[in-house]
Amino acid sequence: MDIVYYIVLVPMVYVACVIFVVGTVVRLVKLFMTPKHSATLQIFPERRPRWLWALGDAFLLPATRRYKPFFWVVLMLFHLAFLLLIVGHIELIAEIKPFQVIPHEVFLGRGFVGLVLALAVLYFLFRRFVSPTKDLSVPEDYYLLILLFLSVLFGSQMDWARRWYGYDSLSAADYREYLSGLLYLRPHVSIDLTASGHSFMLLLHVFFANLFLLFLPFSQLMHSIFSLPMNKLRRG
Amino acid sequence: MDTKTRDELLKLFQSKLNQTMRLYLETCTRCGICTEACHAYASMGQVRYISAYRHEIVRRIYKRYFKGRGKLWPSVGEAKELSETALDELYEAAYSCTGCRRCMMYCPFGIDTQMLMSIAKLLLVGAHAEPEILTMLADTSIEKGKSLDIFKESFLAGIKRLEAEVVKKWRIEAGKKAIPIDVEGADLLYVALAGAHSIIPAAAVFNAAGEKWTLSFFEAVNFGAFVGDPTRTRLILDRIINEAKRLKVKEVCICECGTAFRTMKQMSGKQPFEVSAITEVHARYLRAGRIKVDKSRFKKKPITYHDPCQIARNAGVIDEPRYILRHLTDDFCEMSPDPRYNWCCGGGGGLVALGEDNLDFRMKSARVKVDQVKATGAEILTTACENCHTQLSNLNDHYKMGVDVQFLSSMVADALVQ
Ligand code: SF4
Ligand code: SF4
Repeated sequence: MDIVYYIVLVPMVYVACVIFVVGTVVRLVKLFMTPKHSATLQIFPERRPRWLWALGDAFLLPATRRYKPFFWVVLMLFHLAFLLLIVGHIELIAEIKPFQVIPHEVFLGRGFVGLVLALAVLYFLFRRFVSPTKDLSVPEDYYLLILLFLSVLFGSQMDWARRWYGYDSLSAADYREYLSGLLYLRPHVSIDLTASGHSFMLLLHVFFANLFLLFLPFSQLMHSIFSLPMNKLRRG
Repeated sequence: MDTKTRDELLKLFQSKLNQTMRLYLETCTRCGICTEACHAYASMGQVRYISAYRHEIVRRIYKRYFKGRGKLWPSVGEAKELSETALDELYEAAYSCTGCRRCMMYCPFGIDTQMLMSIAKLLLVGAHAEPEILTMLADTSIEKGKSLDIFKESFLAGIKRLEAEVVKKWRIEAGKKAIPIDVEGADLLYVALAGAHSIIPAAAVFNAAGEKWTLSFFEAVNFGAFVGDPTRTRLILDRIINEAKRLKVKEVCICECGTAFRTMKQMSGKQPFEVSAITEVHARYLRAGRIKVDKSRFKKKPITYHDPCQIARNAGVIDEPRYILRHLTDDFCEMSPDPRYNWCCGGGGGLVALGEDNLDFRMKSARVKVDQVKATGAEILTTACENCHTQLSNLNDHYKMGVDVQFLSSMVADALVQ
């Protein structure tokens, strides 16, 4: 079993990260080296400064708020929670002073951020089982959401265990030791990490997160990067 | 479909793959936010008319031939072979889309369905499966550009017959031509449609404003753009560009034709002349006091205005028609609180040019437009696009809306004060 833990927690993480970074860079370079469309694709009336309106469109989704307000709320909560979880993971690698302007225990949000994210992903998933979104969806849309849900669920479960049911056999310090080891290329999987009652959760969380990272650069999830330039095209 | 044909079609597909197109093809999350955006879906409730459903048909072929994932694991993205069936689906998607770009307003990433449908249309042209009538009309326009001398005499004779009608609307000084043609050094080249309704009122207004203008030999409409053929689109444009350069005009004014205006404005590249829509020119004359109109002409008739998608949302002529209408009436009612979200009339993208063939679809798919017009309570429904005018007139007859559908330029000409 130890070998499975090791493979998932160390080499697979490295492979996933390398493919994620290289895949993303290659895709961006290839894309941005392709010639641009020569004519404008602007929608009118024009609003200036265009980049500011494009930023607003990309991050605040005004049309979605107007036409699908409930979906908009879920989308906003999802993206906010996702951002907070990224911050949480960075804080798990090392203590970052500026993040502690509001003093908090790692992770932010007392376990509720993960809960919100998990519920939002479930909502995204279930709406794909209902027409007309069902008729638009293809298998990868479901796979990605399922992967994300599993990763969030097992990851949050570790947070919930510490916060909500006082199960603290794995502490933030244990995770920090593991993650910083990975970052500084001195991977070390301590016995505490693999022998605790929650180790299996960690294994599954990392496994699904790896798969998600592996898939991400080749999927429509790149909208996280493309959204802004595309909105700029619409604003002219 | 044989391999050679498929390879040729894929080459055409490849020719469309610029950066923007790739972004549009690779970013859609199939979130369905655009579901209610399309008038065809909103009116008919059929999934195939959702904009994302339309572009997914193009996207699946893209994945199959241009993305590694589509080659290695096609089922995950439902990548699809380019086949005869796929061509049928492309036809259905492209020729039920008016290219109004209303859905682009809904999409969080601003995906442009009209652009994606241009791939579908080009593949259909490559497979000789496009609506023949559009190609035929495009080729006739191109032919006219190539051999103008053959058409010239009959054109001039036809125009001569219209001059008396122009003078009825606006008296001109003796010796002056009511419809000047081929005038080198004129300030403005007016590009009309093949029809008196597009020439007489415009000529009267130009003469009333004391404009130094000249009429183009060519008609403005660009069937190459409707059929989605970039080569034909360019050739049709070039006829007018060359004429404008030859006559050394400062401005090319496009008649009430949305596609003609947008194509000339946005696709002609940098030119030594300005491009304007006739609505912009009329608003300019009113602002400068070069023409005056009589408000009592349309008294007691509430008026509403349909923003042609290619002129308003897609080319920015939004305030000008309203400025003109403020001079024509005190009883103007807006159709939509935000012109960007105005419903398309359902006639663009070459659909009107297909005539009776798709009349049933055009009527059914524009029910939301009819509801929008009715809600205004207007008696006069005005617009500034030939396609929209035809479609709105058809809707008026079909749904017995009881409105009087008018061109905005004709209303200006009718209300001119001598
Ligand atoms: S709103 Fe945009 S991203 Fe969502 S399904 Fe429609 S086109 Fe795709
Ligand atoms: S461009 Fe207009 S007609 Fe085409 S899918 Fe979008 S909303 Fe519908």
